[in-house]
Amino acid sequence: MNMSKSDYLFVFLACFTGFICFFTKGSDSFASAFGYSFNLLVLILPTLVGGLLLSGLIQQFIDQDKINKALGEKSGFSGLIFATLAGVITPGGPFTSFPIVFALWVAGADIGALVAYIAAWSLIGIYRLVIWEIPMMGMDLSLLRFFVSIPLPILAGFAARWLVKYLPLKVQDVAKK
Amino acid sequence: MISGYIIVWFFVFALTILVIKNKGYKGIKKSGVFAGNQAISIGRKMPFALLTAAFIAQIVPIEELSHIVGPESGLLGITISALLGGLLPGGPMTSFPIALIFFAGGAGAPQIVALISGWSIFAIHRVLVFEAPTMGWSFVTIRLISCALLPILAGLIVELLSIDGLNVPSALAF
Repeated sequence: MNMSKSDYLFVFLACFTGFICFFTKGSDSFASAFGYSFNLLVLILPTLVGGLLLSGLIQQFIDQDKINKALGEKSGFSGLIFATLAGVITPGGPFTSFPIVFALWVAGADIGALVAYIAAWSLIGIYRLVIWEIPMMGMDLSLLRFFVSIPLPILAGFAARWLVKYLPLKVQDVAKK
Repeated sequence: MISGYIIVWFFVFALTILVIKNKGYKGIKKSGVFAGNQAISIGRKMPFALLTAAFIAQIVPIEELSHIVGPESGLLGITISALLGGLLPGGPMTSFPIALIFFAGGAGAPQIVALISGWSIFAIHRVLVFEAPTMGWSFVTIRLISCALLPILAGLIVELLSIDGLNVPSALAF
């Protein structure tokens, strides 16, 4: 089994926090932490497996070239909506989404679309909602949060476009280097 | 919670048929490989991530903190939660278990929404490990400023809707 650096980080964090927990709160707290994590594991496993399969299946319908074209520089309001939709359906963690953001940037997407994409992926990405949030936080709160957050990425996109106009921050050149 | 399971597996089933129709079994194989690789990566981290979250929940007096961000705490509580959310460690495997304890401990719905949104937007670890190296700091600065108010906004909308009686999942009963 190939363990990556971040895998070791999780092992280390678990040992470190477990050590502190055992010696400051005693063995009862230590044991109930195990109970809590086991319950969570059982709770999320069925949706986790289904959600992972979903992310693989959706991947078959994503056409990266089309997405790049639709987010071109003067993409206006529709570009923000499109970026939001693309963010919502992007599967996986930051290790898949940021390479996509970078590719979009190089392909000519404007700052508004990029910010809307990241905001959409992080706030209303359906995979995180289905795999992690609904099983752990429950249907009520998860859906409430999801629906309330739908317009937010577009707002962020507009804010970003406005900011680059009026602030001396230049980002568009970085990708071309 | 059963309904959540049914919905997910219904979509898995429907999409499987769609993929077979459009891309054939090759498409299914590709999806399986994609899902499998992710599963391996998550599977190695998850037990330790969940344990870390559970230990942190034991060490930090989250239940006492939950009272500070109770349903009556209003805009101040929403703002505190949004900032607190930005400090939650790690990905969904560690953050949601901690958020759940806040929720079960008596935090209000607007405040929990602000907490989860704050974590989604600000997630320090993600900025440091992924965003800054790929996109550069001036991009990160613009993104953070443009998104800064979103978690508070999300909390305020929920406050205005004033929905109560949300079900808290039972993972804490053991």
